[in-house]
Amino acid sequence: MRTISTLLLAMTLAVCAAPARAALSVSAEVDRNSVEISGNLYLTVTVSGDSASVPDPKLANMQNFNVYSSGRSQSISIINGRIATSVTFTYILTPRFLGVQRIPPITVFNGKEKAVTPEIQVTVTKGGQQGAAAQPTAQPQRSSHRQPTRAAAQGGPQIFVKAEPDRRSAYPGEQINLSIKFYTSVPLSSNPQYLPPTFKNLISEDLPPIRSGETEIGGVRYAFSEIRTALFALAPGGAEIRPLSVIAQIPSNEPVDPFDPNFFQNLMAMSGAQGKSQEFTTDIIPLTIKPLPPGAPADFGGAVGNYTITASADRSEARTGEAVNFSIALNGTGNLKAVTAPKLPDLADFKVFDTMSSLDIKKERDIISGKKTFTYILVPRAEGRKTVPAVKFAFFDPAAAAYREIRTEPVVLRVEKGAEGAKSVYFNQAAPGGGDVTPSGSDIRYVSERSGAAASPRLAARVTALPLWAHAIPAALLTLGFWLARFNRFKSANPLLFRFRRARASASRDIDEAEALVKAGRNNEAVSLLYDSFMDYLSDKCGVKVSALTMKKAGDLIKERFPGVGDRAMEEIRELWTALELRHFSPEAAGAEGTSDLAKKYALLLELLEKELRK
Amino acid sequence: MIPAKKVLFLLLAAAALPAAAYDRSELAEFNDLYKTGRYEEALEGYRNIIAAEPANPWAYYNAGNALFRLNRMGPAVLNYSRAFMLDPRSADIRANLDYALRQTGQTLAPDNVPKALHYIYYLLAEREIKAAAILLFWLACLAGAASFLFDGGGAGRAAGSVSLTAAGLLVLALAWLGARQTSPFTAAGVAVKPDGARMLSGPGGNFKTYASAPEGRLVRILDAADDNYYEIGLPREGIKGWALKTDIERL
Repeated sequence: MRTISTLLLAMTLAVCAAPARAALSVSAEVDRNSVEISGNLYLTVTVSGDSASVPDPKLANMQNFNVYSSGRSQSISIINGRIATSVTFTYILTPRFLGVQRIPPITVFNGKEKAVTPEIQVTVTKGGQQGAAAQPTAQPQRSSHRQPTRAAAQGGPQIFVKAEPDRRSAYPGEQINLSIKFYTSVPLSSNPQYLPPTFKNLISEDLPPIRSGETEIGGVRYAFSEIRTALFALAPGGAEIRPLSVIAQIPSNEPVDPFDPNFFQNLMAMSGAQGKSQEFTTDIIPLTIKPLPPGAPADFGGAVGNYTITASADRSEARTGEAVNFSIALNGTGNLKAVTAPKLPDLADFKVFDTMSSLDIKKERDIISGKKTFTYILVPRAEGRKTVPAVKFAFFDPAAAAYREIRTEPVVLRVEKGAEGAKSVYFNQAAPGGGDVTPSGSDIRYVSERSGAAASPRLAARVTALPLWAHAIPAALLTLGFWLARFNRFKSANPLLFRFRRARASASRDIDEAEALVKAGRNNEAVSLLYDSFMDYLSDKCGVKVSALTMKKAGDLIKERFPGVGDRAMEEIRELWTALELRHFSPEAAGAEGTSDLAKKYALLLELLEKELRK
Repeated sequence: MIPAKKVLFLLLAAAALPAAAYDRSELAEFNDLYKTGRYEEALEGYRNIIAAEPANPWAYYNAGNALFRLNRMGPAVLNYSRAFMLDPRSADIRANLDYALRQTGQTLAPDNVPKALHYIYYLLAEREIKAAAILLFWLACLAGAASFLFDGGGAGRAAGSVSLTAAGLLVLALAWLGARQTSPFTAAGVAVKPDGARMLSGPGGNFKTYASAPEGRLVRILDAADDNYYEIGLPREGIKGWALKTDIERL
């Protein structure tokens, strides 16, 4: 039961959390679900998000409609530091084919989230009398087949397209209206497809709706459709309106061959349901863009047109630390999309946060106008009567060919002391600790003036470059030290073993020394040395102390430890011992000759014993 | 009697002397070229410095900056990565490498790894860790030999302690070095061609192309035995394949 409750709680939380995450949304609607082939359809796409700017919707390529942008309207609301933006995009759709037509799903993507509208279906019907009068693009369909004959008889073209700007010279940002007219004197199988021109050094804004009517040119009566576009030059110099295309289905007048494999297609074309596709294009139209005159005011930011400015705050009273929405609205004619925010004067009494803008564009009487509102978030630093001074805005008026400077009225705020620890409002999540620094971009760090590597990488390079064999040296030293330590310990643990091994060498050295003493005439010292040496030798070999050694004990020990020692060797030991003892304790008997003989006898005995002891 | 500290200082200074293998005024000249937007010429200069001093991280860093300005993101990532491998403690090098990686859809530090841990992981360059391991090995061996020679004495015990400490640190250094083998900058290469690197299912043009590594992508080089192709892996995607050696520059 408890598990089920937990699951239900988790599901409830998940359901609650889901809409909170989906900050970006998009919706689309048409003003009607049925439209005549000669009529227009308004498609309204609304994109909403929780940031200052939301992405533009992406319309799929629609072959079944001609699409014209009819403006956009943006609204921003800031409540408790949260920004909500809603932008409405309006499009005019002109159907090209009869029947049920689809407006595919429209997507918006802000880099993190994606929102999609459902598909919309619209039924396109044949035009009635009323629709035909309103949209003469359908007129050719109703026109009699006599018209082509008449046009041909007059020598004029049956169908043509013409592009004409209202001026050939303008300032950057000044509106140029381009009129594109499609004339036909023959009935068409369907509404033609319009491929708009591209531009050089110009930006465009559609001016719907499509105008249509009838006119007579050179004695030929034509039905025409007119599309108007507003153009704004970007920079002084040359600009171009590049060729546009109109693709129309023209009924075929050729006789139908019953044996032609395309017999049924040709028959359909004859009947007007289907025709030959033909493309009509215009030439390149060059324009001259004049530079703005010198003497621009310091506040001039490139705005061209005719504007008025107002400033307002969302309230007249506030507390320190609380956010106040301060808005500057620019109304007028011109390319409002390109107008940048006016620079605020220094506001020592306020912290100023991000600027957001909203835009409402109108296209009445083919003039781009509207309202652009810049909203600043001001947070009063101190209490008292605080004034936001007049904000200046400069623009170039192309009608008067002069710069103009306008300004707002100062806005006064009464600021009271905020509560202790009042919650501050921050709009830049990247720097919540808040200072006055707001990162506006990012880039790589500058090149370094440092030369060469630091000592440690250089040292590391040298150490790692050492040959492999060099590292065997410390290992060898360690091994040697280890071996020496072991040897010393073994030596300390087995002293008799080492005395046994050293005995012969030590005795030989003593004999040499004794002979030297004999030569020097110091016989007594030589005998003493030989005696002590012999005792030490036997002691080392028998493994007992000299003081504990008697002739009998030495004999027994030798026999016991070295059973291979022969009787002759034992006899020799006893004889040498006796002789040395005699001379050692009777120094007067130690003549030079006798001492030397003793030394030789001792040497011979050593050789014999070394052999016998190994048996 | 010269104090030991002075001797050490002189040794380090001697080690650093070859740092001035080129004229400092040349560097200032190349930086001026960079400053005035003549990135190609600045890059040529930085390449000369790299040729003279292959262990100079700042030459790679500056070359990376010039390449970044020229919008050659793959070679920029390559040069920043080389600078990072030589001096991973530099904040400038880290910042620019991270920035360039982000331009190519990668990050220097994975999002799920604490920054401090990542900094410690790359505190020393791989070569520095190897050098530290070698020095610790020498110290452990020599102090060990001394402890054996002075067996039983106070000096022997002190030498033994030093030897054991050095051996412990050596084990840590080796473990660190082992952990660094999983770093994306170890046994790695960078796709340097503007079109990226085509990944084939075998080392030859007759094999099928089934993926491509975009420009600037760090790849792991699994095998370099073939004359013309590297066997490369993309750990994040879990795929591997063969790419032309001309498309991948080894770090």
